[in-house]
Parts: sequence; structure tokens; C-alpha cells
Amino acid sequence: MGKEIIPAAEKSLNLIRGRLCDPSYVFRPLSASSDSNYSKLKFIVSTSITEGCNNSILLLGPRGSGKAAVLDLVAGDLLEEFPDSVSLIRLNGLLHSDDNCAFKEIARQLCMEHHLLFSKMASLDENSQFIVAMLRECGLAHKTIIFVLDEFDMFAQGKQRLLYSLLDAMQSVTSQAVVIGISSRLDADQLLEKRVRSRFSHRKILFLPPSREEFDGLLEHLLSLPADSSFPNGYVSRFNEKIKNITSDTRFKDILRTLFNANSTVNSLLKFIFRAVSLMNLESGLLSLENFKAALSSMQRQPKLEAVRDCSILELYLLVCMRRLEVKEQSAYNIISVMKEYKTIHDSFQTSDYYAQNVCLRAFEHLRERQVICYTENRGQSQTGEYRPMKLLISASELHQGMRSHACCPAILLKLLDH
Amino acid sequence: MPREESSKATRRSTRSSSSVTVENAEPNESHQPTVDDLTFGDESITVDAVLSNFPGRRSQILDLIRLVGPLDCPTLPLMIYGSASTGKTSVVLQVLRHLSRPFVYSSCRTCYSPRILFESILNQLFLHRKCSSNGYSSAKRCDKPSDFVNLLREALGNVIESLESGSETSRPDKSDGKPMGKMVYLIFDNVDLIRDWDKGSMILQFLFSLYDVLKMPQLGIILISGLPPDVYYSNMGYTDPLPLYFPEYSEEDLRQIFLRNQVNRKLYSAFLDVVLKPFCRVTRRVEELSTTFSSLFRKYCEPLDDLGISPNEDMKRRLYSHLKPLIAPCLNEIFRVSSHPHDGVTRGERRQKASYGSENREELETLDFHMSTSAKYLLIAAFLASRNPATLDASMFDSTGGMDNRKRKRKASEKSMEKKEMAEQEAVMKGPGSFPLERLLAIFQCIASVGDSSFGEEEEEEDEDPTGYDKENNNLMSDILLQVSSLCDAHFLIKSGSCPLEGSIRYRSMVSEDLALKAARSLSFPLAKYLYRR
Repeated sequence: MGKEIIPAAEKSLNLIRGRLCDPSYVFRPLSASSDSNYSKLKFIVSTSITEGCNNSILLLGPRGSGKAAVLDLVAGDLLEEFPDSVSLIRLNGLLHSDDNCAFKEIARQLCMEHHLLFSKMASLDENSQFIVAMLRECGLAHKTIIFVLDEFDMFAQGKQRLLYSLLDAMQSVTSQAVVIGISSRLDADQLLEKRVRSRFSHRKILFLPPSREEFDGLLEHLLSLPADSSFPNGYVSRFNEKIKNITSDTRFKDILRTLFNANSTVNSLLKFIFRAVSLMNLESGLLSLENFKAALSSMQRQPKLEAVRDCSILELYLLVCMRRLEVKEQSAYNIISVMKEYKTIHDSFQTSDYYAQNVCLRAFEHLRERQVICYTENRGQSQTGEYRPMKLLISASELHQGMRSHACCPAILLKLLDH
Repeated sequence: MPREESSKATRRSTRSSSSVTVENAEPNESHQPTVDDLTFGDESITVDAVLSNFPGRRSQILDLIRLVGPLDCPTLPLMIYGSASTGKTSVVLQVLRHLSRPFVYSSCRTCYSPRILFESILNQLFLHRKCSSNGYSSAKRCDKPSDFVNLLREALGNVIESLESGSETSRPDKSDGKPMGKMVYLIFDNVDLIRDWDKGSMILQFLFSLYDVLKMPQLGIILISGLPPDVYYSNMGYTDPLPLYFPEYSEEDLRQIFLRNQVNRKLYSAFLDVVLKPFCRVTRRVEELSTTFSSLFRKYCEPLDDLGISPNEDMKRRLYSHLKPLIAPCLNEIFRVSSHPHDGVTRGERRQKASYGSENREELETLDFHMSTSAKYLLIAAFLASRNPATLDASMFDSTGGMDNRKRKRKASEKSMEKKEMAEQEAVMKGPGSFPLERLLAIFQCIASVGDSSFGEEEEEEDEDPTGYDKENNNLMSDILLQVSSLCDAHFLIKSGSCPLEGSIRYRSMVSEDLALKAARSLSFPLAKYLYRR
């Protein structure tokens, strides 16, 4: 830590991390080809703007596949192309699923766009009347309003009043509006009510994980430094050379394959690269394969193993007792029966670890806090205290593995677990 | 625990402006918070100071520094998780102190509802302080996530603007506690408590996607959680933050932690050699070990006249043999905080000496608290009512008292042994049985009269008139109903569901067998005779 840090290293680190945290930069190369989702979406929206008609689209795909990012790119381009005839209203299902909130937010954004005064005291009806009036006015002025509904499935809960009023207004009033819904539920359109679904145009764009070639291109796009004058001369070429060496290495390809076996969205790749880049050696300013290996191992966590490794020896005893009760086919057990088993183990093996009841009760609490055991849901009887039935939240193999990798697990416990 | 105390004192100072001495007596002249107050407040410290303050956390500290990144480096949201008292909060705050970055800290333990959480963050960002002049109100009223996002954007914009204008003046001295950089970090502590809130899953979902919703690269979000990230998985899915794990301390780390800030390190390290290993088998949490070690260390040093000497081998052996008999009972009391104050230490010692003098298991024969006689009888009656089946009451509490004439010696067959085991298991699982109030009062009457008369003269009870009550019993009756309700409050009795046929409330006894035995012993009541054993 006391060695010299090259200032260029910090700058390149900032640059790359900035790129990773900016979704529109990340998805730009993926949108370059002509049959990508970007061009499809752009075509649909621009035709409805130029022809002055209404439209509704759904963007579907798993989380982290770039739906909102592509939409932002399209919106940015359209706002440049048609500066006066497009206005954008954004809603998010997490924040605005309540109808009151949603109408208020739409009214607020419309007011901000058109420099009108927004009253916070306006009621739901007033807001909805205002919105319908604005839609009519904008339609007469040939201005298109684009409604972006993020987390579309959250709007489809409850009465779907917002969706119905928006889609109904689009049909009846002389308006020009495009409704774009984004959802990670692939069946989001099945959630709509009949009257809403009949007004919806059923256009869907699916966002699938990119192919391997696209990923390679993406890696290069993210990690190569630009050859401009803000960096020292040899540094950029050395850095890009190192990146090329790493990405063509077979070990790196193995690492990538392991990563994609678990999660093949773009988002997990971004997190992986973020972690690897953060480990960059600031003295040399270059990435190395070890950074990527360390990043992969930090992404492959095993939380239950960590929880077992954190347990003290008394807690391990209690876990082994519970496991033995399970093996004896006692489907339900509570603290009293586990303590009995603990006592029998102590009597038969004369272990040195026999503690009083209150100590064991506290150890149970620790185990519950770590979510290794829990109380079973019991609707019929209302038991309290030490008679509530419990169950293990880890499997036998996880317990086994955890105990074997524990720092100081006594050998007798492993023996007790085995038979 | 000296280390925790010092970090607690510094943590408290982040919530108020610590660069100026706070004058509590004059709220009218209170210091108006500025952007500079968003940092830790004290002087910045070096990495080595941070590393030496937290033994055993070297790799986590370096990882955290790397993930937060150099100045003005955008970062994805981070989640720091680990079990209790592993140093998560203090490490985060000290690292941000070392880096002199402005941050806003809020804990979901003190801000126990969404409105309080949102308003606390907004108050800190709007540099608003609650005082009497504004009626102790927040800067803006905010209880919905949608309002919070809009207001947060506004507040962050203000703060970042002032940070940018402040950073234009170049500062040669980097360690004066002023904020550096143009990024603001939001720290949410105890995020796992949100799960228990009303609509907690929505709020958690909102927190995890806050970074994507705001789309501000000058914001960094750090979440601190006591539970691993997989408990937050829900149907809705979310983009999970980058995890950073704080494991429990190993024995070596615990030794270094306890050796810090000790006056006589050699003596304490000899003490730790004796004590650390057995206690680590029970628990490895610092807060639980520190209370036990402080009282044990006092006892360890008793034979020494001078606490400043460093012990040699001979003395170590002597001290060890002095401490050894205390270790085993202390292990069993490890989680119990002593109810004797420190001044009364001699009384506690005498009790402990007496207790471990006798080798049997039931060391403390008396109840720890005072109960009236009728309350004790009621307790025993409730215990018996829960343990014994109702059909045996008549024979149990008849004039002969007890069930010693019911034992029929018969060789138990295998099948009946198995059935007995199954029945026992079921009884353990079901727990104590429930009984109506009338049964409790009937048993109480029986045993109270048994206790009044002496044991040997059981014939006298046959003469007792079952219908006529003494004057004493009459007076006792109204108190009994009061006692029942106070036992319910003390959780010795609980109300279980009511019987659908009768409609009366049924009670259940939550008294453990040792407590009932202690109460019976104090009344000289033969509990064992009345207990039904299968």
C-alpha cells in the first residue's frame, strides 16, 4: 500500500467503472445491428409518431437484459430527431402502483414538461380529467406522448384503473400516445383484465441473453481504453494488449463459461467485470487473469456453508442432534426433544461439551438468527416457548460439508452425523 | 469493551455536527449544518490506523476500500453482511472516515418506519436540523417511495452542487476532515429489519432498485445487513447488490481484540490462554464474551497484590488453579447477566462459593424472586393441572394423597414399551396441556389444604367438611383470581384457545419443572407424589 500508484491507473479505473455503471454505454454495441431489439422498437415508435397513431408495446425479458437501457437509447434518439413533437412520461410500478400516486405523478410530469403549475392538493378525479384533457390537446397539436411503465406487472395488480384509463383515452379521444410496458414477467400480458387486454395491441419484444460472439464484442467495448491524449502514450497500448491476451486465454474462456452457466444475463457479466476491475493492481495499472479468477470466486458464494462455518461448537452439537432426530424419522421435533437427544449423546459418549439449558436456549436463538433453523408454521395448535416445532433449513450434505471445513469441529461430531 | 466504546462514541458524533462543540443549553443559537458536516467529522486516519483498529478484518477492509474505489469513481450498490457484532457498521464508517467521503447514515433500527427513514435521510441531505425554531419538524414530509425519489433527487442535486463548488478551491491538506470528491454515499444499516415492517417486501424491493431508478452516477449506496442476501429473494426478483461477507472472528482474532487497550498485556494474555478456548466452544461473539471475561478477569487477579507485574510460569500455574473451579459454572452462566451489582460482588461470590461447593446439579435451591404463598401454590397447581390428565384428578387428590398405591409391577412387553415411547414423544411435542379455570381452583384448594395440615396426619382430612369453607379460605378466594391474572402477566400461565363445547377460557402452564420443584421445595410440598409419570 505504500508503493507508488500511477495516476493513469486511477483514471482508467474511473473510466471503466463509469462505463459499467452506465447502462446506455453498455448496450450501445448490442443495438448496432439492424435486426436487434433497438431497431425494432425504434421503428415501431417512430412510425407511430410520424403517422400520428396510437400504439402499445410490451418489452419482456429477464432482469438485467437491458430493456430499460435500450428504451433509454431509443428515447434519446427520438427526442433528438423530433424535438418538439415528443414528450416522455416515466412511471415505475414499485413506486406508483397505487392509482392516486400514479395519476399524481403523470400530472406532475405533464405540468413540468409544459411549464404549468402543479397543485399537490388535486384529487384523483381532477388529475385524471387533466390527463385526458392534455391527451386531447396534444393530439390536436400533433404531439406524441410516450408513457413508459416500468415494472408493468405491478400495474396489473388490483383494479388496473390506470391502465384502463390510459388505453381507453387512447382509443376514444383524439390523442397520439404510445404506451410502452417493461416487465421481467414473460406472461405480463396474461395478467391484464379482459377490457384492458382488448384495448392492448399485443405487440411484444423479447429480450434474450446475447450470444457468445456478442459477449466477446461487449467485453472489448467495455474494457479497451480509448487512444486519446489524456492517458500516457505507452500505457493505453500496453493495457489493451494485456486485455487481448487475457480474453484469448482458454482459462479465461473457462471462467466465462462457468459464469454463464449460472446466470447468462448482461447484468451478471457487468458485476463480474466490476469486481475484477476493482481488484486491479494500481501500481502497474494493468489487469491480470488472477483478478478475474478472484472475481469469479467472490461471485460463487455458498451462504449456508458460511453460516455453518460461523457456528460455535455447541451450536454444531445442536445441529447434529436435530439431524439425528430427522434420521430417526421423527418428523417434528422441538427444543425439548433436541435437548433430550443432546443428553443421550452426552451420556453415551461422555463428551466434554455439556452445557446447561439456558446456554443451549441462547445457542438456539443464535441459530435462528442465522436462518439455519426456523420454527415450522403451525396453524392448528398455538404452541409457545420451547414446545414449538422446529426444522432445519440446511440439508444434510451442506451440514456435512460445513462441518468438515469448520476450523475446529470435534471429530466425534462427524462420527455422530455419519451413522 | 474499549474498542466498541470508542467507535460508539464516534458513531454518535456523525448524527450531529461534530466539528463544532454542541451547546445543549441554547438551541436557538445552534450551528446550522453545512455540507462539511456530511463527513465523519474527525480528522481523517490512515489505512494502517484502520487496519490496526480492527484486528482480523484486514481482507474485508481492503476489499471495501477497493470496491468503493478512488475519488469520484462510480460504484454499483454494495451489500455488507455478517452476523451480529462482527464489526460491519464500524468498519464502514471508519473506512469512509479514512477516505473523507461525504455520507449519510441511517439505521433501520432507529428509523422503524418508512416515513421516519425517508425523512431522516432527507433531513441530513437538506442540511436541516430539527430545533425548537422549526417546531422539531422535518424538512419535507415524505412517507411514500414516489415522493422520496423526487425529493432525494432534488436534495442530492443541491449537495453535489455545493460539493463541486467547494472542491474548486484546492486544498493541500487532505486530512482535515473536510469532504473530498463529488460523490455522496447513502448507508442503510440493519436492512434485515425491514422484512418485519408493514409492506416490508415492497420497501426492500424499492431499496435494491433505488440506484437504477435514480440513475445518478454521483450516488453510492451501501446496505448493511445482519442476514445473508439469500433471505431477500422473493417472487419479484431484483438486481442484487455486490455482496461482501464479514465472517465471525476466529480464536486468534478474538485474542487480539481482547488484548487491545489492556493495561497489562502479559497478564491478560496469560488469562486468555486459560479462558479463551473453553468459552469459544460455546460462542464466538464479542459482546457475549466480553461481559463474562471482565468479571472472570477480576477473579483471576484476586491473589495478586500488584496488577502491573508480568507473571512467570509458576505464578501462571497458581493463578490457573485459583480460577479453574470457577470456569465450569461460569460456562453454564455465560449468557446470564448477573443481577447482583458490582458493589455486591462479595455477596455473589459467597453464593457462588457455596454453590460450587456442593457437587450436585440443583445448586441454587431457592427461587430468585419473591412470591407469596398462595401464588406458589397456584403455580404448583397449574403445573400439576398441565402435566396430569384430568381423569386422574379424583384418585390423585383423594384423602390418601398421592398415587403410591397405584403401581402394579408387571413385566413390560416390547409393544407396550414402544407405545410408551411414542406416547412420550407425542407428549413432548404437544407440550403442556390446557385446563379450565375451575380445575385449577379445585386442585389449588386440595393442595393448599394439604400444605396447611402436616403430612403425617392425613386422617384428619377425612373429617374435613367438603362444602363448608373456613373464613380464611373465603378471604383467599378473591385474592386467587387476582393472582391468576398476575401469573398470566408474568407468563407463567397463558390463555390457550377456548373449548368449543363449554365456551370457557382454558389456561396452560408455562412453568418448567425446575421452577415448580423450587417452589414446592420452598413450601415443603411433596410434588413428586402428585406428578403422574407414565
